Amino acid sequence: MARTPLDRIRNIGITAHIDAGKTTTTERILYYTGKSHRIGEVHEGNTTTDYMEQERERGITITSAAVTAEWKDHRINVIDTPGHIDFNIEVNRSLRVLDGAVFIIEGVAGVQPQSETNWRLADRYNVPRIIFINKLDRTGADFYRAAATLTEKLGINWVTLQLPIGIEDTLKGIVDLVEMKAYIWEGDELGAKYHETPIPDDLKDKAAEYRQILLDTALSVDDAAMEEYFDKGDVDVATLKRCIKRGTIDGTFRPVFCGSAFKNKGVQPLLDGVIDYLPSPVDIPGIKVAAEEGEDEAAERRIIPANVDAPFAGLAFKIVNDKYGNLTFVRVYSGVLKTGDTVLNTTKEGKERVGRMFQMHADKREEIKEVTAGDIAAFVGLKDTGTGDTLASAEDPVVLERMAFPVPVIDISVEPKTKEGVEKMTLGLQKLAGEDPSLRLKTDQETGQTILSGMGELHLEIIIDRLKREYGVDANIGAPQVAYRETITKSHTETYTHKKQSGGSGQYAEVKIVFEPKERNTGIEFVNATAGGSVPKEYIPAVEKGIKVQADTGVLAGFPTVDFKYSLVDGKYHDVDSSALAFEIAAKACFREGMKKAGPVILEPIMDVEVTTPSDHVGDVVGDLNRRRGVIQSQDMASTSVIIRAHVPLKEMFGYISNLRGMTKGRASFSMQFHHYDPVPRNVADEIMKASA
Amino acid sequence: MRLRWTRGRTDDPGDGASRLRAREWVGCDDAGETIARVVRVHGPLLTNWRLFHAVALDEEARVVELRPSLPGDRWLVVVKDRVVDRAPLAMAAVRRAEAALAAN
Repeated sequence: MARTPLDRIRNIGITAHIDAGKTTTTERILYYTGKSHRIGEVHEGNTTTDYMEQERERGITITSAAVTAEWKDHRINVIDTPGHIDFNIEVNRSLRVLDGAVFIIEGVAGVQPQSETNWRLADRYNVPRIIFINKLDRTGADFYRAAATLTEKLGINWVTLQLPIGIEDTLKGIVDLVEMKAYIWEGDELGAKYHETPIPDDLKDKAAEYRQILLDTALSVDDAAMEEYFDKGDVDVATLKRCIKRGTIDGTFRPVFCGSAFKNKGVQPLLDGVIDYLPSPVDIPGIKVAAEEGEDEAAERRIIPANVDAPFAGLAFKIVNDKYGNLTFVRVYSGVLKTGDTVLNTTKEGKERVGRMFQMHADKREEIKEVTAGDIAAFVGLKDTGTGDTLASAEDPVVLERMAFPVPVIDISVEPKTKEGVEKMTLGLQKLAGEDPSLRLKTDQETGQTILSGMGELHLEIIIDRLKREYGVDANIGAPQVAYRETITKSHTETYTHKKQSGGSGQYAEVKIVFEPKERNTGIEFVNATAGGSVPKEYIPAVEKGIKVQADTGVLAGFPTVDFKYSLVDGKYHDVDSSALAFEIAAKACFREGMKKAGPVILEPIMDVEVTTPSDHVGDVVGDLNRRRGVIQSQDMASTSVIIRAHVPLKEMFGYISNLRGMTKGRASFSMQFHHYDPVPRNVADEIMKASA
Repeated sequence: MRLRWTRGRTDDPGDGASRLRAREWVGCDDAGETIARVVRVHGPLLTNWRLFHAVALDEEARVVELRPSLPGDRWLVVVKDRVVDRAPLAMAAVRRAEAALAAN
């Protein structure tokens, strides 16, 4: 296969709130780019990217599928990502390796919570993006209102490149504000032809108004283009496109497209937009190398640019275990890698040999002999490489910037129904956890049960289902438990002396530790503030280890203790009787005693809940959310519905969907995502402590 | 009234692109006389231990505080040395300057 020049590659993600039409749009892209000869429909359960059985049954996307497509002499690697918050990790890791993204916004509801979350994630990785306002054929769709929510909810500077012609069931085309012409589709069916036409008379004024806004916004990124405009009163299309691309890449503004993927309107111009405005690997600076241990994260670091002639460097961003074995998806940032080559896993400091390589087309694959900078491929034969690991040439063994993974908020216990299932379950869960960094496994020290921690009920339900289908393990599942945390609210200094003398050499260690609360989500920090060798430095790691181990079991109800700083300020030792073990024991006891006096509290996950309900059920929904300890944040009208936003403890949200359906006769829907951890009220804390006693 | 607009003073916008950008556009008449200017507002700016939400630099590059600071409206429209309007983007400011001149 001939190499695609770097400037003709686009690595893009498609992301949005659940059910905004991501998978449908991806299916249309595959159809129009000629990869798929028949089109899949989400509601028929036969889409190309939703290839897992659970995805087809439920009509949602669970894993991100990498699909390669060709459009106008460009290669587009598309990653379709899940919309449901429980699978947010997929969005997270996709955005990390992509060069650009298409954000799909629903034409009726506008920006929804998951769009906001994904948008912030894309901000974190500086991903250039374009916006597609979809579903304009739906009853209640309003392009201008949906676009206004981009300002209201995302606070971004957007500029539309298109206007819809018609709306709801009269949607028939779009006005292209860059070239000032219109496209009309000749039907709703798949592959419907479209033709170019002058802008309809009734839209001429509006098109002129919005083109002026486009010119004002786009040309503002380039003084030479502005001068051209001042001289001639206009700019040519190439100049305008160049300015739009520059503004898109540097994030000055976000271009907006529109249409209806389901009715096959607007997809081809969107593909043109991907080519014209989203960056190729050489249009962006490249990827940063990881900070060295102890190095400031914000410090200037070396950047690896996309360069085929440089030593190989790539990032593993996804692991999939299927019937063919272990597939590792790798984004290549520089160099060339050929089948059979050996590379270094610089994260784990090991060697890996690449057996075979594939270009992925959802569940189908095409074997390739080499992969080059800027591209995405799946490798077979890597043994120890996990998500977020760097693969690099021995010539330049760089470690690329790592990925950040979300904290699980929900736990369930799981045990196989039969003894024979124990080994299979352990193996299966280890493989599933290897694929999914937002899934954590642990063993309950007291009961010996395996505890699965994940991002939500649906996330864990799918894992259990996969365990059964893919590994043949039937398991008993405990009720979902909230992943509580513990922390402290005030400073306290504790001194503890561990002394044991029962014949032979004794044990002696004394530690004096100051425990202090920290800001939420800042983790645990250790400071060695001893002076004069009061605690010999060979025992310091033992103190750290003791606290770290003990922090997993909080003093109130045994939940992990988070967000505190502990400073070892003083201590005593004995030349003969002191040991690392004695200091570890002393640190553990000091933690247990000290934490009790430092105002310990239990923290619970608070969810950002958005309920969309017909207006006649608003009172019931709000009352119910209040009963669930919810705090209403806002109520907004959207067409005939009301959108209620509230912060509600996760504990109160278990089984909410059936309650909501009952209350609203099935007419309301809701979504939720983790927002923050908050201390639980006293009465709830008492209940939790009683249950854990 | 249409003016001929050219780049005035430039500065580094601090976006890491290491290219100078116009912070001022100067509108001249056919005789080449300056009739209007549009000037990008800076801010927030910490100077002399004071935080200014919006500032402009005068001809001698002295900091002039602007009140009230309007978020988003980063361009001042100056016609014959008087600030007559503000706009979020340079091109919109230019149009407003020409509209203000036409209205006079």
